This record gives sequence, structure tokens and C-alpha cells, in this order.
Amino acid sequence: MATVSTKELSARMSKRLANFKLSDAAIRSLADRVLIEGLSIGRFNPCIYGICIDYFSDKYPRLEGLSKKLGVSKWEVFPYGIIDWDRFLVRVAFDVAEFEGKGLARELGH
Amino acid sequence: MSSVTSSTAGQVADSRSGFLPDRVIHLHPTRRCNLSCLHCYSESDPRRKESLDPNALCSALELLRTEGYGVISLSGGEPLLFAPLRSVVERSRELGYRVTMISNGLMPAERVDRLLPLLDNVAISFDGLAPTHDALRGRDGAFESASACVRRIAAQGRPVSAAISLTRSSIPDLPDLVDHLVGLGVRAIQIRPVARAGRARSLADSSFFGASDRARLYLVVMALQQELQDQVRVHCDLAPSDGLWRQRDDYAGLLGECAEWRCEDRLLSDLVNPLVITEVGRLKPIAYDFDARFDIGSIDELSPQTLHAYKRTRVSGLRELVARALADMQHRGELVDWFDHCTRISSMQVARRPEPEHSLPAAHQRA
Repeated sequence: MATVSTKELSARMSKRLANFKLSDAAIRSLADRVLIEGLSIGRFNPCIYGICIDYFSDKYPRLEGLSKKLGVSKWEVFPYGIIDWDRFLVRVAFDVAEFEGKGLARELGH
Repeated sequence: MSSVTSSTAGQVADSRSGFLPDRVIHLHPTRRCNLSCLHCYSESDPRRKESLDPNALCSALELLRTEGYGVISLSGGEPLLFAPLRSVVERSRELGYRVTMISNGLMPAERVDRLLPLLDNVAISFDGLAPTHDALRGRDGAFESASACVRRIAAQGRPVSAAISLTRSSIPDLPDLVDHLVGLGVRAIQIRPVARAGRARSLADSSFFGASDRARLYLVVMALQQELQDQVRVHCDLAPSDGLWRQRDDYAGLLGECAEWRCEDRLLSDLVNPLVITEVGRLKPIAYDFDARFDIGSIDELSPQTLHAYKRTRVSGLRELVARALADMQHRGELVDWFDHCTRISSMQVARRPEPEHSLPAAHQRA
């Protein structure tokens, strides 16, 4: 099975998002989920869960509510530590069926 | 130019004024244009004659440089139809401005190329793929001509970017349009929804973005940023409202505590950024179609005294508007085109005396 590059998956994702076949309700739900107060979005990747997002924060992230958010498959926090004491990377995997990585790969013909 | 003022302007060059990284003058030297686009916010077209007097303009730019502005963004009309453009750009560079220009890319190549060495960046405007672009521009072949212009500038090794205005129905064009522009050699792409202003007000309601469309565009842009990564910078004029609220310190120059300083002691660029100069010489805050009640004045009467009077007595209306708009961001919970948002409410808000200082969401009043 041929490997699907991240770039190909991202290109496919931008087209899928831009296409009005994905309903307004699905778009708003996704936007509500991925915009997390206090965290800035860094990378936005298609992944096996749907969409995985790397957030950055210059304060210790308050993530109590995150596990209660709908559709969060998992999340991890990486302190930058000695490289940058006041910076944290928060990686969150969102369960989004429309963007599930294997489905995208199928669309690309792999 | 007094040495004291120059020194002050130098000190602020690194500080932020509002949400823009630079202190910018949006200069519309003429309303004349070789197109008559259906969505044009300045309602420019080939019959328009209004243009600025270059001497009055250069005098104004000299004074505004001492007020801390560092970038001139030329727009229009089509700026290349402004006959004295070259002399104005040369004078602007002598004054220390960086100069950028947005063009429709339809002017003869030699006219564009002669100016390129004087410009820090050129942006060519696009509205979608060819059918959408040509329909909105009212000109068959406009997309192909604009694309050829980008390709030619890029081939010369000059910085060129694309400024994309999208109606709601052209959102699906965006990924392929960006792909096309990257292939032509753009270094950056700026995307914004069409504003409900000027001739665009005649477009169908369905042309404009609602909250869901803004969310869709924001997500598409994030995916495009991921796709292009370091290859091309993709920027969208939408931001999460809570993020704008968190960044409100950027407006400390305008909203700071008056007990600590007087507005008349501030540079104009601390208070107003971006500043717009229209083709009839009006100075306006933030946007071309910002309500006239907030106008700063006219370049014909611009002087240190008139600016002092504006800062002392009339900036309070803008201050109140921005403060209220920022406070609204705290619980709005959606994606916002900040400058367009301020512009829309400028026409709704009656200028009033400012509220007591404790009601303003300034840096020292964090929630």
C-alpha cells in the first residue's frame, strides 16, 4: 500500500472543508471544538482519529475541561523544558469521522 | 521635522499599535480604475476622476511619518492609473516609509515593471478561479492577465503576493486557487471575506459570510497553512474572538489609562492604526468606509495643530468604539474579521462622550 503524505492529506482536507457538502452544522461543531480558550493553534494535521492539532501556550495549560469536550480522543502535554521554560505544546486528537485518516487515504486511491 | 518628534517616532517603531504588526497608511491616491468590479468597496471605475494632489499628499506623508507611521499600502482605484505615482513613491521612500501596492494586474507590463524596484511588495488581487474572478471583475480574461502579471513579477525575483477577496459562493474555489497561485510563484497569500461596502452592497445577501462561513474559511486556511507550511505564508483576516480579547493589550496606546498620559501627547499612530487616506484627501481610521463621523480631517488642512486638536477632543469617539468592540469579543465565541467588525459598528454607533475610564477593557483591567 502506497504511503499517503501529510501534504496530500492536508490538500484533500482543505478541499473537503471548502466544499459545501460538509454541512454548516458540521463545520460549526468542528470549529467550536478546535478553538480552545487560551491555546494558540500551531499545526493542524489529518490523523487516524480525524484531526490532530498542536496547540501552544505560554502558561501552564488548564485542561480540566478538555477531556469533557465532545469528540476528543486523546490529548498530551509536552513542556518545552530547558529549551523554553514558559512554553507548552498541547497535542489534541479530535474524533472527526469525516476526516478520519484512513478514509482520506482511500479517497486518494491508495 | 523637529528632533523631539523624530526621536519619539523612532522609539515607537518597535511597539505595537492595535492588531497590525506595522503602523500602516492605506493610501487610495485615485478612484479611477480600468475595471468596475461588482464587489468594489470604493466603487471605483473608469469614469471616476477623483485623484489626490501630489504636493498636498507628500506634505501630509511627511507629517504623518513624524506621527510614527512606517508603511504605506497603495490601493485604489488602480494605483497605477495615478499619474504622479512614481514621484509620490520616491518621496515616500526618502521619508523612510516601506511601500507596498495592491493592483489588479491588468496594467501594461512596462508600467508595473518600472515601479517594482521602488516597492517592498506587490499584491495582485484575485476573487476566485477564472469564471468567478472574471464575472466579478466584469472582464473576460482578467484572471489570465492577473496570473500572467504574478508570473512575470516572480520571474524577476521580486516579492509578489496575492490578495484574495472571497464571496461565500467562491469558498470552494480557494484550495485550487491557492494551488494555482503557489505555482505562479507568490510568496504570501492574504485572504478575506468580501466586505458589505460600496458596490458590494448590491450583491445578493447570500454572497456574504455568516458565522458558519467564517468558521469554514478559517478551517480551510488552517489546512492550507499545514499543506504549504514554510513554502508560502497564508494569512486570513479572521481570528477567534477570545484570542482578540486576550490580545487587547495591543490597544494600550489607544485605550491606556488617561491618568497616566494625555491623548494629545501620543503619536497619531499610537491611536489610529491603520490610517486611511482617501482619493479626496480625507483621513479616516481603520477602513475606507469607516463612518465619516470618525474622520480625522483632510490632508489640505493637516498640521501639527489640527492633529493636536483631534487627539485632544475627537479621538474619544474612536476610543469608545474600539473599547466596546473589544469588550464584545470576550464572550462572542466566534470568528471575527476585526477591522470589518469595527467598520460595521462605526455606522451604527453615535459618537458620544467616552465612558469613565474604569469601563474600558485596557491592559491594567484584566479579567
